[in-house]
Amino acid sequence: MEGLTANGSVPRGNPATHAAARKEDTMIQFHNVFMSYQRDAAALNDVTLKVPKGDFVFVTGPSGAGKSTLLKLVYAALTPSRGEVLVDGQNITRLTRTQIPLLRRSIGVVFQDFKLLPNRTVLENVAITLEVLGWSRRDIGKKVYHVLKQMGIEHKINATPLRLSGGEQQRVALARALVNEPKILLADEPTGNLDDENKEQILSIFREANIRGTTVVVATHDRRVIENSHRRVVVLDKGRVAEDTDVPE
Amino acid sequence: MSRNKPSLRPAISGDGVGGRLRYFVSRALLNIRQNVLVNVLTIGTITLALLIVSLFLLVFVNLESTADTWSGKIQVTAYFDTEPTPQELAAILSGVRAIDGTDKVGYVSKQEAMKRFRSRLKGQETLLDGVPADVLPSSIEITLKRKTREDAAMEAYVAKLRKVPGITEVQYGEEWVRRFNAFLNFLRFVGALLGGFLLLAVLFIVSNTIKLTIYARKEEIEVMELVGATRFFIKAPFLIEGIIQGAAGAILALVILVATYFGFLHSATNFVSLSSSVTGLSFLPPIYVAGIFVSGIVLGFLGSITSLRRFINNPQ
Repeated sequence: MEGLTANGSVPRGNPATHAAARKEDTMIQFHNVFMSYQRDAAALNDVTLKVPKGDFVFVTGPSGAGKSTLLKLVYAALTPSRGEVLVDGQNITRLTRTQIPLLRRSIGVVFQDFKLLPNRTVLENVAITLEVLGWSRRDIGKKVYHVLKQMGIEHKINATPLRLSGGEQQRVALARALVNEPKILLADEPTGNLDDENKEQILSIFREANIRGTTVVVATHDRRVIENSHRRVVVLDKGRVAEDTDVPE
Repeated sequence: MSRNKPSLRPAISGDGVGGRLRYFVSRALLNIRQNVLVNVLTIGTITLALLIVSLFLLVFVNLESTADTWSGKIQVTAYFDTEPTPQELAAILSGVRAIDGTDKVGYVSKQEAMKRFRSRLKGQETLLDGVPADVLPSSIEITLKRKTREDAAMEAYVAKLRKVPGITEVQYGEEWVRRFNAFLNFLRFVGALLGGFLLLAVLFIVSNTIKLTIYARKEEIEVMELVGATRFFIKAPFLIEGIIQGAAGAILALVILVATYFGFLHSATNFVSLSSSVTGLSFLPPIYVAGIFVSGIVLGFLGSITSLRRFINNPQ
């Protein structure tokens, strides 16, 4: 498993970097990334990081350490103030406005607050991902049912999110993120609103996705979740990588 | 098991422009069903806004048409010293008709002039006893086309008329024409001013209502962006929704306008007796009705497109 190259010295925009990224089968790569929302406060401070394809990484750290910012940079919700972010060999800091949606189709994202549409059914919430890709209604119905069955909530297919428990809502959000079998799954505090039983169920879904080949990055400050998972852990503190540990399985 | 191969897109039943359009329309209709309250609010606002504009137009168009009726009475009279022979008269008439701006020309002989004078003195005809029948001059009366009824155009017309051989004097009530045209210009100015303010107010209210309704659904836009929808894919159902709202608002406004007109304004002679010729307000011409319908659609479309610009984010 690839580790962190702390203070990596790869020059910006070097074509060799991109070639190397592909060669090493790296899925996500940060090169000397700085991100600041305001002039004085840096959310990320010279972060260099590699996540190989098929890896499962926890990103942790105190509130305001830069966990969410790091994830947002991967799905191009933000562009870094300095540095480069490569996803599957592609420098996403140079993407045009029309290229960003194409990148996001290969990334599934889940959040602590689920971000489900309350006036749409479970089916409709999950179907959005496939509608964007242009799937036909019949195929969408089959595929969504299949994914919901994997998550154990197929009987809720016509319910609206407000009628579901927190764990069920997070599983719907996961179904929406995973239904098109993305290369990357990003999760921002996915277990923050869940009890222990639901946390374990959600983490097992992450593991299954990872077994199918999806690279998984989970941002969490829940130490118990991390300790029980035996996965690589990247610790952020004040926007810097403070620690990067591979935990033997 | 296929390890993370990108999904092959299954056969798509609704591909192509038609398929996409069908999807966007059905999405827009579904959105309307799922957000009934918000849509009722928007359609209601558009209806009220267009109704106010329509009523203003109705009054303005009727005022204009009354003014137009009045201006049709503007007449130029050209007098002859001596009665022209039929040949001379024919030449003069064709000369007058050749002047640009002439609408109708009528000849009034000395006898006809005396007959009219006599009828005006009804009851006091004896005053004319002993007055010779040919004391009044013969004349031609000219009504003008609309574009020649303005001050400057009328002066130019009269100047040309004076040059027609055989015509010795021309009268057209300069002062009255001047005042009437000043009144018409004032009416149009006030109409344009009020109409302009009204239009701005309507645009402001409608665009803000649509903005609020889209704001209420910004989560939906966020989710669409998250799963990789293009800007067009996100916008299209909202724009179609805006068009449907605008069209529905316009139709409702027109229905209420028709009901108000036939129930109330149609026979409103007693309070709009601008002149004896007015027999109640007339309804808007079809071109205005079509204009209101198209305005509703444009309003809904533009309101949506400007509001969406705020909520579809670029990366910071």
